[in-house]
Amino acid sequence: MTSAATPDRTAAPPDVPTARQLRARLRRARRRHHHRGLGDLLTDVYLVVLFVAMYGWALVSDLRAYLGSPAGGAADPGERYWIAVAALLAVAGLGWRALRAVGPLLVSAAAQSWAAGAPVDRRGWLLPRFVVLLGAVGGGGALLGVGLAFVARADGGGDLAVAALAGGGWATAALAAAVLAQASRVTARWPRLLGAGLVVGGVLLTVGVVVSHFAGGRLGRPGAWLAGGAVVVGLPLAVVLTVRAVRALPRVDRAALTTGAQFANAAATAAVMLDPTLLAAVVESRRWRGVGRVHSRRFRAGRRWWVLLQAEVRRLGRHPGALAAWAAVILVQYAVAVAVPSVAGSAQVVGAYLAADRLAGGLRSVSRSPGLRRVLGGGDGGNQVAHVVVPAVGAALWWLATLPVGGAQPGWLDAILVSGVVVAVHRAATRRPMDYDTAVADTPFGMIPVGLLSQVLRGLDVVAVLVVAQLVLS
Amino acid sequence: MDALTVRGLCRRFGNLVVLDDVSFTVPAGRIAVVVGPNGSGKTTLLRCVVGADRPDDGEVLVDGRRAYETDAWVRSFVAAALDDIDFFPDLSVVEHLELLAYAHGGPVEPVAEVLTELGLDRARDQLPATLSSGQRRRLALASCFVRPRRLLVLDEPEQRLDVRGRAWLADRLRDERATGTAVLMASHDAELIDAVADSRIEIGG
Repeated sequence: MTSAATPDRTAAPPDVPTARQLRARLRRARRRHHHRGLGDLLTDVYLVVLFVAMYGWALVSDLRAYLGSPAGGAADPGERYWIAVAALLAVAGLGWRALRAVGPLLVSAAAQSWAAGAPVDRRGWLLPRFVVLLGAVGGGGALLGVGLAFVARADGGGDLAVAALAGGGWATAALAAAVLAQASRVTARWPRLLGAGLVVGGVLLTVGVVVSHFAGGRLGRPGAWLAGGAVVVGLPLAVVLTVRAVRALPRVDRAALTTGAQFANAAATAAVMLDPTLLAAVVESRRWRGVGRVHSRRFRAGRRWWVLLQAEVRRLGRHPGALAAWAAVILVQYAVAVAVPSVAGSAQVVGAYLAADRLAGGLRSVSRSPGLRRVLGGGDGGNQVAHVVVPAVGAALWWLATLPVGGAQPGWLDAILVSGVVVAVHRAATRRPMDYDTAVADTPFGMIPVGLLSQVLRGLDVVAVLVVAQLVLS
Repeated sequence: MDALTVRGLCRRFGNLVVLDDVSFTVPAGRIAVVVGPNGSGKTTLLRCVVGADRPDDGEVLVDGRRAYETDAWVRSFVAAALDDIDFFPDLSVVEHLELLAYAHGGPVEPVAEVLTELGLDRARDQLPATLSSGQRRRLALASCFVRPRRLLVLDEPEQRLDVRGRAWLADRLRDERATGTAVLMASHDAELIDAVADSRIEIGG
């Protein structure tokens, strides 16, 4: 059966209930066995709002205070502004990819099998989800806009309103465009080009600012017209795209609806179970399925560790995205050194960890799969050593590439920090499957699941120690 | 009029070609069985036919009309039991089937009959989490028989069925054929294929 196309034959056959009637029947049936009242829902919403408000406010106000302090403010305002714009572009590109990965419209496999697969009106079935998503994403965009404006000290009533409208408008437009992409033909290239264009735009802008900085150039900061322009363009665009998305809802097909559901389910389970490997498994499966077939070659003869190392390098060559991410973090380090030079030393430690961790896929696979270790033979120690070589070399090269914009520290400290980063990557990659039956400590702040936290933070704990060491010893 | 026509269907995963220019027809009241070794693309073919996967090229026609999964008429025409079926954890066996019958605008009376036929009578009030894999398979098959259909698509329906279940399946497929329903199924069961198949579609050979 071919996917979403043009014919207007989507009217439901006679006697088929409307989408609203079917939804109501499903809801009634489920409520018989699943007692969850409005009060429970409101409690959940309240907790989420409280969480976002508390931690969001703390983050925004601390960031604003730091950037306004003598240490945090030691950067050219124009360069900092354009780095922020570049970061927004890159984040928008990655956000677009995330929206596309989860749908954004999705239907669970159960709902697809027992309700949405019936000849009910597709638009009627999807419209309530679309409206809820639109509200959530638009509201989130508006909040983000207000937060950024507050951090940038554009905190007059008018400025905040403009930022809210710009953020909400563009976020709404992005969601509507993602739904249009979901309803488009499989051969449509614009969704991929849009995501890539945003990321490439962010990268090029960052490179331009960094080059200008080291060449001694000065960049001006545009006036408020840019935010006003964003509103003028963003709001009408949001309206037009939303109308088009609603019209496109009947063309969103089963393949598009259920693929995102797998990803969203994995993400939700990973978040609830505090175990990112559940999501990583789905991402990896999709990635390698997209590659399909590779050119198999015989390994050069040698000792066991040498063959394992060749396999590790070969796997990396088949995953250029990991190398791209490794290189992108170098650019991020340069951008941080230009925009917030006071945190360049700490950022270098964190960046080295993130970059090397991208190269530790083999170590993660071997450590998490007892079956794979059994097949490979040899001891766990030998397997791990063979698979830690690539991330270790990656960390060292990354550190060398960012030396000019890292922390001002003696050479011996550089060596210690790089070694520490490798230890952190090893600790994170060799994380065991989550054990939920762990110790809980009774503290003045309430019950804290210490055992659970220690598992989640494995690897990051070493990074934290390294950051403190860098701050103290540099 | 052929109930199902597949023309030049292609499906690739990256640079791996799984289906390459697959074409066939299934007339109404006939049973076509897709055969081929593991990894030959049988499931992918069925997924493309029902719209669970998007082919890279080619077209699927149902009853002579280009088939789009987004078309409500097509969804009412095609009943399918593939591997991707899932269940609401808080609905019982009978509630699943009644919901599906209602969603298709049909009466719920056939549900009791189908439950009996599939040996799910005693499990009618059980929640999916308590079902065995064989019972889940029977429930998936039952989902095809409580709703109107003119094309039935089944992916290895014999899987996890016991001997009596397989005998019932063969009888049921013959009944479907007798009432004019076209059947497209993938199977590895030579006995079942010999018992019901009117034609074989070999892929990946």
